[in-house]
Amino acid sequence: MVAYIIRRAFAAVVLLLIVSAVTFGIFFLVPRLAGETTQQLASQYVGRDPSPQAVQSIIHNLGFDKPVYQQYWEFIHGIVAGRTFNDGPTPTHCAVPCFGYSFKSHLPVWPDLTQRIPVTLSLALGAAVIWLVSGVAIGVLSALKRGSIFDRLSMGVALAGVSLPIFFTGLLSMDLFSFQWPIFSNLHYVNFTDNPLMWAKNLVLPWVTLAFLYSALYARLTRAGMLETMSEDYIRTARAKGLPERKVVTRHGLRSALTPIITIFGMDFGLLLGGAVLTETVFSLPGVGQYAVQAITDNDLPKVMAVTTLAAFFIVVANLLVDLLYAVVDPRVRLS
Amino acid sequence: MTAPLEVSGSAAEAQPEAVLSGMESKTIEGRSLGRIAWIRFKRDKVAVAGGIVVVLLVLLAVLSKPIEWVFGLDPNALHQNLIDPVLLRPKGALGGISWAHPLGIEPQFGRDLLSRIIEGSWVSLAVAFGATVLSNIIGMVLGVVAGFYGGWVDTLISRLMDIFLAFPLLLFAIAISASLQGGAFGLHGLPLHISVLIFVIGFFNWPYMGRIIRGQTLSLREREFVDAARSLGARGPFILFKELLPNLVAPIIVYSTLLIPTNILFEAGLSFLGVGIEPPQASWGGMLNQAVDLYQADPMFMVIPGMAIFITVLAFNLLGDGLRDALDPRNN
Amino acid sequence: MRRTKAAALVAVATAAGLTLSACSSSGGSGGSGSSTYNAANTSVVNASSHTGGTASYQLSSTPDSMDPGNTYYAFMWDFSRLYARPLVTFNPAPGNAGLQLKPDLATGLGTPSDGGKTWTYHIRSGLKFSDGTPITTKDVKYAIERSNYAHDVLSNGPTYFAQYLVDNSSPYQGPYKDKNGGLNSIQTPNDTTIVFHLKQSFADFDYLVSNPETAPVPQAKDNGADYVKNIVSSGPYEFQSYQDGKGATLVKNPNWSQASDPVRKQYADKITLAFNQQQTTIDQNLMADNVTMDLGGAGMAADSQATALANPQKKTHIDDVQSGALAYVALSSQVAPLNNVHCRQAVQYAIDKTSVQTATGGDVHGDIASTILPPTVTGHTDFNLYPTSGNKGDDSSDGLAAAKQQLKLCGKPSGFSTNIAARSDRPNEIAMATAIQASLKKVGINVQIQQYPSGKYFADDAGAPAFVHSHNLGMMMMAWAADWPTGYGFLEQILDGNAIKASGNSNLSELNDPAINKMLNDAIGNTNDAQRNQAWGAIDKAAMQQAVIVPLLYRKDVMYRPDSATNVFVNPAYGMYDYLTVGSTK
Repeated sequence: MVAYIIRRAFAAVVLLLIVSAVTFGIFFLVPRLAGETTQQLASQYVGRDPSPQAVQSIIHNLGFDKPVYQQYWEFIHGIVAGRTFNDGPTPTHCAVPCFGYSFKSHLPVWPDLTQRIPVTLSLALGAAVIWLVSGVAIGVLSALKRGSIFDRLSMGVALAGVSLPIFFTGLLSMDLFSFQWPIFSNLHYVNFTDNPLMWAKNLVLPWVTLAFLYSALYARLTRAGMLETMSEDYIRTARAKGLPERKVVTRHGLRSALTPIITIFGMDFGLLLGGAVLTETVFSLPGVGQYAVQAITDNDLPKVMAVTTLAAFFIVVANLLVDLLYAVVDPRVRLS
Repeated sequence: MTAPLEVSGSAAEAQPEAVLSGMESKTIEGRSLGRIAWIRFKRDKVAVAGGIVVVLLVLLAVLSKPIEWVFGLDPNALHQNLIDPVLLRPKGALGGISWAHPLGIEPQFGRDLLSRIIEGSWVSLAVAFGATVLSNIIGMVLGVVAGFYGGWVDTLISRLMDIFLAFPLLLFAIAISASLQGGAFGLHGLPLHISVLIFVIGFFNWPYMGRIIRGQTLSLREREFVDAARSLGARGPFILFKELLPNLVAPIIVYSTLLIPTNILFEAGLSFLGVGIEPPQASWGGMLNQAVDLYQADPMFMVIPGMAIFITVLAFNLLGDGLRDALDPRNN
Repeated sequence: MRRTKAAALVAVATAAGLTLSACSSSGGSGGSGSSTYNAANTSVVNASSHTGGTASYQLSSTPDSMDPGNTYYAFMWDFSRLYARPLVTFNPAPGNAGLQLKPDLATGLGTPSDGGKTWTYHIRSGLKFSDGTPITTKDVKYAIERSNYAHDVLSNGPTYFAQYLVDNSSPYQGPYKDKNGGLNSIQTPNDTTIVFHLKQSFADFDYLVSNPETAPVPQAKDNGADYVKNIVSSGPYEFQSYQDGKGATLVKNPNWSQASDPVRKQYADKITLAFNQQQTTIDQNLMADNVTMDLGGAGMAADSQATALANPQKKTHIDDVQSGALAYVALSSQVAPLNNVHCRQAVQYAIDKTSVQTATGGDVHGDIASTILPPTVTGHTDFNLYPTSGNKGDDSSDGLAAAKQQLKLCGKPSGFSTNIAARSDRPNEIAMATAIQASLKKVGINVQIQQYPSGKYFADDAGAPAFVHSHNLGMMMMAWAADWPTGYGFLEQILDGNAIKASGNSNLSELNDPAINKMLNDAIGNTNDAQRNQAWGAIDKAAMQQAVIVPLLYRKDVMYRPDSATNVFVNPAYGMYDYLTVGSTK
C-alpha cells in the first residue's frame, strides 16, 4: 500500500512536470510560431509607448534573455526552493511555493491565487452535494422502474440537461431569479467566514445551475450502471437465495453500480477545483476559473503557469484519491 | 463525449465502458449486422426524429451561404430604425419578431437574428465536424497501434493518453486560442479562428477515442478470425486494415456522433468566453456572450442562440443514443 | 487617459452636452442643484457637509494599480487624490471651472522662467505623511524618478517627465538601479522648493504635474511594485487594507489637516472599494442605493442604462457625461486617392453623421462632432467646415452636391474604392464603420471594412504606416482622449508630423504639415494662456482644412448617482464624477 502510494505520488509529480512544461511551451513557442519577436512580447508588459531601453530592461527582468530551458528550470526551482528577485529597490525573496511575480502587476502570484481557492471550493462542494444526491437517486429509481413514466420523464429531462450549455442555463437562471423575480438579487461572493447565510444565498443559483448539468449526467450514468448490474448473474443468485429485493438492490446492486460513479466523480470534482471557468464567468464569481481567464487574456505567464499547474494538481490528486478509495469500496481491486 | 466537463458535462461519458457497454460481440456478424441495426434504429422513433433534425441542420449549414443569398439575408446589416434608441431593445413584441425578421433582431445593433443563427450554424458544425475528424484520426491511429502491437508501444501510448487526460483542457484551449487570435501561419480572421478551434478541440480530445479503439482492438486481436488470417500467413498491416478496421467502424460511428455535440458545446463555450470566433462574424456562443450585457433589455436575444445550441446538441445526442442502442446486440 | 474596456464598448451620449460651458462663469462655487436629469453636469448635487458614514465604490474590473506612480486610468487619477496629493490638481467644481488647475501640495501654480524651460514650485510647510514623517520636495522628486525612470518595475504610468525633462549626461536609470544620486534636472534647493529643467519650452507643464506621479513617496517606504500594498498617504484618507484584485478599505488619515488642503474634504469616515463586480450588478446596487459610486466612471451597462432611462424617477439620478473622447475616422494622407485633399473633403461631406450616431445606439450615444477638440478640452472652438443639412451628409441634397463637387476636383467624379480599418472586438466601432460604408456608397465611394483585434491595432495594423500603405487602408476608425485636457494634450499625438512612428503610431492620417507642426511647437512654447488657448482652435481648424480627420461623435457615458451620495458633480477634466468631496449619508 505504502509502496503503491509512493509510486503513484512519483508518477503524479512527473505528470505535473509535463503539464507545466507543456504550458510553458505553449506560451513561449506558440506566440513565436505566430511570428512575434522577444521585443514585441516584452513590450506588452511595459505600459504604453515604451522606450527601447525600458523594453530591454523588462526583457532582462522577466528573464526573456535566457534560453527557454533555463527559464523553465528557474520556474520549477522557484516552486521547490523559492526564488530571489532583484529588480526592485531591494532584493525580494519569494517563498516556497514561488510561482514568480506577475508580469503585469509585478506582485507575487501565489498569495493572490490561493485567495481564489475558497470561492471555487465553495461552488464545487455545494454543487457536488446537490448533484450526487439528486443524480444518483434519480438514476437508481429510473433503473428500478425501467420504462415507467418516471423513468421516461427523468431521462428525457436528463438528456435535455446534458444538451444545455451551462452559460445559457446560467444566464437564464439569472434573468429569471435575479432580474424578473429578484429572489437572488445583488449577487456577489461573500466569504463563508464573514456571513454563512449570505454565502449560501448568493451561491444558490450557481450551485443549482452547475448541479443541474451534472445531475443529468449522473442520472444517466447511474441508470445505465444499475441496469447492467441488475442483469448480472450474482444478482440473480442473490434473488434466488431469497434475499428481499430491497437488500438485493442496496447491498449488491447499488454497491457495484456506484463504484464507476466514484471514479467519474473524482475526475469531475478535481477538474472543477481547477476552475469552473464558465460558471464563474457567468456568475462573476472571483474564483480560480475567473483568475485563469483573466491571466490568459492578460498574457501573464506566471499567473497562467500557476493556475494550470494548480488545476492539473487537483486532477492528479483526485485521481489518486479515487484509486485509493476504489480499493476500499471494491473488494476485487487490490493495490499492488 | 469528452472532458471539458463544464462545457459538455460529459467527461463521465467518455468512459469507454459507459458509452459502448457491450458492443464488442456484434461486430463478428459482419454485414448483416448493419441491416439488423437499421431495422432496430427505425423502430426508435425518438432517434429517427433526432436523425432527421441532424440531417436538416447539416443541410442548413452546408447551404447557409446560398440560402442567405436567395433570401437576401445579411447577418451583418444593421437595422437601427427597428431599435428603440433609449431602451436599446427591438421595437415590437418578443424581440421584434416580424415577417421580415422571423426570429426578431438583436438589441442595440439591430442585426437580423435568423441570418445570424443560419450563419452561426455552419461555423458551429464546421468546427465540430472538423474537430471530431481530427481527434478520430489521431485516436484511431494511436489506439489501433497500441492495441494491436501491445508491449512497450502500448505502454507508451497509454501513458501519453493519461497525460492528456490530466491536462486542464479548457484552460489550454483558452490559452492557445487567445495567443493565436491576432494572426498566425499566414492565416487571418475567420479561417484562422476556425482552424485554431478545430485544432485545440480536436487535438486534446483524441485520447477518449484512442482508449475506445485500443480496447476494441485488444479484444478483437484475440478473436478467431484474426487467428485464422494470421495462420493463413497474413502480415500485421494486412490484418490491421483488412480484418480489424472494418470491425471498428460501428464504435467509431457511435462515438463520433456523440462527440460532435460535445464539440459544438466546446466551440460555443470558447466563443462565449471571447476566445473563439471573433465578432462580428456570427456564432452562437458569441451571441450569448453579447447577451450577457443585454439579456435584461431583451431576453429573446439570449433565448434564441441558446435554443439553437440546445436543439442541435439534443438532436445529435438523440441520434447517438439511438445508434448505440441499435448497434448493441444485447438490446432488444 | 486610458478608460476601462466597458467605456470603449458602451459609449453613451445625449445632445445636451454643450450646456457645460454655460456654467463656466460660476467658477468654483458651482451652486447646489437638486436631483434632476443631468444636474451634476452643471451643479453640485446633494451638497452637504454631512460627515461620517461609509462611501462605497465598486468597479467592474481592476485598476492597473492603486500606486499613484503606476497608473494610467482616468478613474485612478481622479480617485488616487484621496490618498496622494500631487503638486497641483483640477479644481473640484462642475462645468468648465473643473478644467482649471488649483495648487494642491504646492502653494501656487508653477512659475516659468527661461522662456518656459524652467518651472519652480513651492510646497506648503508643515505637511505630513500618514506615518507622521514630514513631506518634503525630495519626496516629490523621488516619486517622479520612480514612476518615470523605472518602467521595468512600475510599468503602467505615463512617462512625460522622462520625455520632457533634461536627462543626466549618462542616461538616468531610475532610483532602483542608479543608487548614487538622482535626476539632475529636478532640483530641491530646500525642503519646500522644487525646480524642473526642461529640454524645451513647455507651457502645459502645470498639467503634467497634476498627474498623481508627483504625489510624494517616501523613499524609505518604497519597495517597488510592492509599494501598492503599503502606500503612505499624503491625503485625507489612508489605506487600512488592500487586496490585489479584490478591493481596499481606506480610513481617515489623522496626519492630514484641513487647513493645509484647500481642495479636499474629509466627509466620509471610511471608503471601501470592491473590484471585479459585474457591471450590471454595480448598476443595480447604485439604483438600489447600496453603493455610493461606480469607480470606473465609464457608464452603465447597456441593460441597466435602458432600465434607468425608461423610469422617470430613476432618470432624475442620471447624468449624461461628456467623456472627453472623440470618435473619428482618420483619412490617410498617404494612401491614394485620399492623398488628394479634395477626395478627403468629399468624404467629409459625404459621411452621414446622423446615421453613424444612430448606428451606435441613437442620440443617447454621442453628440455629433464637427471639430477635433471636444467641448470639454481647453481651447475648444466651435466651427463646422463641412456643414450638411441635418448632418446627414450625402443623404441631404446639399451634402450630396458638395461631395460630388469635391470628387470632381479630385479627378474621381464617379467615386473610388478604398478600405476602412476597425477593431473587431468593438461592436460600436464596427457599427459606425458599417454606417459609413453605407453612406459613402451613395457617392460611389466603395469601402471595404477590414477588421483587426484591438490588442494589435496600433502596434501592427492601423498604427503601423507600412502596413497601412501595403494594405491600402485609406480610412481608419479611431477613438481618442487626451492625457490632459488641453489642445496640446489632445492634438499633439494625432496631428504632429514628428509624432509619426513606425509602430504604435497615433497620427493615423500621417499628417506631416510643416505649418501645423510649427503652430503646435510655437503654441506649447507660449506661456501666455490666452494666446495659447486660442492657438489650439486655430490648429484644429487648420487640420480640418486638410480634412485628415472626420470627427464623428463627442462621446458620452450615462452615469448614475444614488441619493446617499453627497456633493456629486461631474469634473470634465476626468470625464466622470469628481471623487474629492464625495460623502455618504450611509
